[in-house]
Amino acid sequence: MSQTTVVTAEPKLDLWGGGRSPFNVSYGKMMTWFFLLSDALTFGAFLIAYGTTRFFSSVWPDANQVFRAFPFLGDNLPLLFVSLMTFILIMSSVTMVLAVHAGHYGDKKNVAKWLLWTIIGGICFLACQVWEWTHLNGECGGLWGAFTQIDPSHPFAGFFNPHSAEVMDIVKNQPLVAMQSTHSFFNYFFTITGFHGGHVTSGVIFNILILVNTVNGVYERRGHYEMVEKIGLYWHFVDLVWVFVFTCFYLL
Amino acid sequence: MSSHSNNNSIQHLYEGDQSKLYSGVMSHHHDVNSDESKAQVKRIWKIFWILLAITLVEVVMGMKLSHSMSKGLVNFFFLALTVLKAGYIVSVFMHLGDEIKGFIVTVLIPLVLFVWFIIAFLADGGFWLRMNNESSVRHTTAVHATK
Repeated sequence: MSQTTVVTAEPKLDLWGGGRSPFNVSYGKMMTWFFLLSDALTFGAFLIAYGTTRFFSSVWPDANQVFRAFPFLGDNLPLLFVSLMTFILIMSSVTMVLAVHAGHYGDKKNVAKWLLWTIIGGICFLACQVWEWTHLNGECGGLWGAFTQIDPSHPFAGFFNPHSAEVMDIVKNQPLVAMQSTHSFFNYFFTITGFHGGHVTSGVIFNILILVNTVNGVYERRGHYEMVEKIGLYWHFVDLVWVFVFTCFYLL
Repeated sequence: MSSHSNNNSIQHLYEGDQSKLYSGVMSHHHDVNSDESKAQVKRIWKIFWILLAITLVEVVMGMKLSHSMSKGLVNFFFLALTVLKAGYIVSVFMHLGDEIKGFIVTVLIPLVLFVWFIIAFLADGGFWLRMNNESSVRHTTAVHATK
């Protein structure tokens, strides 16, 4: 009897002694984390490239001038639309974590309910992004590479801060410099928000898949909702990236 | 009876699916209406309100203060608030704060690389900025273009 106690107590003392995960997580969940880490490095590389380009440009478009339109409400509402997008994404992150929470308790009905709300949030966010891209496509006359020539019929001066004499001086007297900044700004913007939007799209698809599995009782039979947790990690990561994209493009 | 210890019954449920040990049968809570569950849900909503408040502060700063306050100070606030938001999302929503310390450290250590990246690339950008400003080619091209 005393021998049994010793044998069962031993693995608990030695975390790295084998027979259990020293991190107390399953292989799949740990690898999800490492995948997200590599994805974070990819997004980080994009944003740092953006930051470097911005740092060596003497002028840069002003977010308050570029992002000022709101559907049906007019053209002079800086940052309002992107605030709505941010709100939608944070909200969908909350519904996702509530789905994960319900999964911990094996509560199938609530997992399905919150996953459905998360999918709706994701689709709303994508719809907003489609609107924003379409709007900027109209403003710029194209998506990538719309600013390659100093063309009077194609003014980019409106994207710069009109209240700064220094900025306006460069825009007026060195239009090539201003054109090149505008060119870089929009190329980075469409690349990075596009890459993020791609992640949101695949996240929505994953969420639909696990919603179908949940409703069909796949996870109930399996005895745990870890797949909801893993997809949840991915979804929160997408929200996390948006926090940085929001700061880099709309605030700084 | 003693040979059928607790361990064996777990082994029976394990069936080769590791996840059952760490996210499944072992750690299952059963009552979704328990106080523990309600406290967790309350915490999630609390973090939501914090994130929303931080975002509103950022947007107001971006609209009102970005042209009147010192640019460096505004940027410092933006970056600090961003890191704070990221911390809440990773620690609470992604439950990294609930993992054991060894795992938290393993996930976070590679991110230290970003410190080096940012310093290196800003230094590079600073060099290019000086090159661009001093380059006579830039200025002459610009003058040609306006003519």
